Amino acid sequence: MNRTEPVALTGLGCICALGSTVDACCAGLFQDQRHLAPPSRFTSAHAIRYPVFEVRGFPEVPGLLRTSALALHAAREALADAGLDAAALQGLRVGVVVGTTVGSTMNDEGFCRAHRADEEPGLAPMERILNSNPAAVLARTFGLRGPCQTVVNACSSGTDALGVGAAWIRGGLCDLVLAGGADELGRITYNGFISLKITDEAPCRPFDRDRKGLNLGEGAAMVVLEGAASHRRRNRRARSFLLGYGSACDAYHPTAPEPQGAGLKRAIAEALAGAGLPPEAMAFVNAHGTGTPENDRVESRALQAVLPGVPYFSTKGFTGHTLGAAGAIEAVFTAVCLEQGRIPANLGFSTPDPELGGTPVAQATTVTGLAALSESLAFGGNNAVVVLGKGEQA
Amino acid sequence: MTRITVQGLGLVGGFGTGCGALAQALALGRSPRSSLEVPTGAGPVLLDAFRADTGALKDLISPKVLRRMDHITRMALLAARLALADAGLEASGHEGLGVVLASGYGATASTYGLLDSMINDGDACTSPTHFANSLHNACSGNLAIALGANGPNLTVSQFDLSVPSALLSARQWLLDGRVERVLFGAVDELSDLTGYLWYRQHGPTGPGPMSPLRTRAASALPGEGAAFLLLSSRAEAQPGYCTLENVVLGPGPMPPTRNLLVLGADGRTATGARYAAAAEGAQVACFTPLYGSMPVAPAFDLAVAALMLRAGTLYPTPSGAPCDFPCVVAPAGPLAGQGLTCLALGDDGAFGSVAMRPISP
Repeated sequence: MNRTEPVALTGLGCICALGSTVDACCAGLFQDQRHLAPPSRFTSAHAIRYPVFEVRGFPEVPGLLRTSALALHAAREALADAGLDAAALQGLRVGVVVGTTVGSTMNDEGFCRAHRADEEPGLAPMERILNSNPAAVLARTFGLRGPCQTVVNACSSGTDALGVGAAWIRGGLCDLVLAGGADELGRITYNGFISLKITDEAPCRPFDRDRKGLNLGEGAAMVVLEGAASHRRRNRRARSFLLGYGSACDAYHPTAPEPQGAGLKRAIAEALAGAGLPPEAMAFVNAHGTGTPENDRVESRALQAVLPGVPYFSTKGFTGHTLGAAGAIEAVFTAVCLEQGRIPANLGFSTPDPELGGTPVAQATTVTGLAALSESLAFGGNNAVVVLGKGEQA
Repeated sequence: MTRITVQGLGLVGGFGTGCGALAQALALGRSPRSSLEVPTGAGPVLLDAFRADTGALKDLISPKVLRRMDHITRMALLAARLALADAGLEASGHEGLGVVLASGYGATASTYGLLDSMINDGDACTSPTHFANSLHNACSGNLAIALGANGPNLTVSQFDLSVPSALLSARQWLLDGRVERVLFGAVDELSDLTGYLWYRQHGPTGPGPMSPLRTRAASALPGEGAAFLLLSSRAEAQPGYCTLENVVLGPGPMPPTRNLLVLGADGRTATGARYAAAAEGAQVACFTPLYGSMPVAPAFDLAVAALMLRAGTLYPTPSGAPCDFPCVVAPAGPLAGQGLTCLALGDDGAFGSVAMRPISP
């Protein structure tokens, strides 16, 4: 893979348990905020009430999946941040690519329950899903005229969406791309992750010796990706640059990472090559760090092998695992950390694990580098990595 | 400019298994109908449908592995293996091979299996296997494992435009030099859920053939299957079927083309009028009556286009009722170097078009 042209991030938007704007979320990262509690929007019959990171007070939108409503919220913030209103978008080729896990899944429990009870359920729940494809919702709402894609690569979807969007810009398919990820919390996902026995009943402890699993979260992040010509013409400050993207499949196991992290290492190598930067140029790594024993072991060892000495941390202790949104949320955090020259503590870490070969950042730290890496690992064996560069001065 | 060729096709659908089965259906102008039993409040209803039989997999995969595989993965794996074999490639060990999968509805049977386990046995007995298989990308992950394909892996779900949307990214990977080969595939399954959805949206299926070129005739029949194309940017030893020229997506209308249009019209009244408008004044062909209506039917259109471009011959559009679109149904005969553009329309007015050309010497 050759070096690729940088793509500007001229607008950022984010909503998660930490807050409903980029500023609120990122402030929370440095105030050690953790809004973790049992689910408030649904119940379950588990003896243990596994805690989650919900977006509290977010209004339901009739006829629309919460996932798409979260994506819309983040997209509005990103577009405003980029100085783009409806009129400005009209003359541009704007694509949209959104990563999700549940945003287009045909799973409505009430519908299924009625159907299985030999009733004749109405199609409203299914029509709501069919009407809520996240990328299509954004394209429709903002009248976008470029290509439209919903990426369903499980937990790497958000990172992959950024890579896809950047490729569309470099390929001349679009002037701008609205790219990111979104996912909502619900009973089905909640029960599903508990069934896999990778959920912690306490606050998650990424990269800690005593880690027991993840906490689920929800949210969305969207960024405005902009090609060089449009960026110059609009004379808008780039808050960051997407310098490189890499992805690779483990081809090993449906839900477990390859023990040596071979796929992750290839994805990192591709992203660095695209950025044209050596490993030592990375100021930090915003790791996937779910807090599950296997993910953190594989990821930490891979980081020691290919990015030795580069500080790393996980923000899952602040947000929970937001699944298809995670990669996009963490890319936004990475961009802001580069902008502010500081990184947060790896919340939940206290005891080093000798098996991991390294330890994450234990407390908020200043950084001076010009580039950083954000990575996602996913079921299906997917690994996706973006290298982001520091933006332009305000 | 990088040239992208279609090097192999792998197909399973209502017409049967493999390119030969589809070619035979094209020549005959029909495919065998099967049926789908749909659970409804008034008892089971039998719909006519185009079903895919994955029995051929038992000769390719160990029974132990096959037992754990759901129907959608079986269809995808069978079509993937056929596409690789058709391209003259090994069955596994595909270092760096990219995989791009499109699915409109995803693994709906596993999704219902997951919900069944919660509803029947309680939250604490939610099935981890069904949960893992219910994820949209479980299928492509399993393909990667079975084929040893450790390159980039992407699954896209855009309902009726899943195929052109996913193909856009597959093409971009090749143009960017990320990979030299992409196994591009599309799959959708019929299940209790999609069957019921179909029944409630369209009612009982009629006895007649699909007549997709009539604006107001509700003649669609549900289908399922998988269509895979091995795409390459290499100078391959075998010439391949055709070149992939362009993929365009947008809110419509489609930009004008001189190519003959292969329409994705499938006898649904919801989209019939818009296909008619898009086809105005054009020479068209339409082959959905051979594989039925499903979100990823446009992948079968691509396969038919590839077969025709390699043969240099246009197959006849299977005749249903007379065409009332304001267009010309192209007669069977030589293509004379003409390109083909496959057109898919989404429910929201968006379009996806894929332009393909014969391979020049």
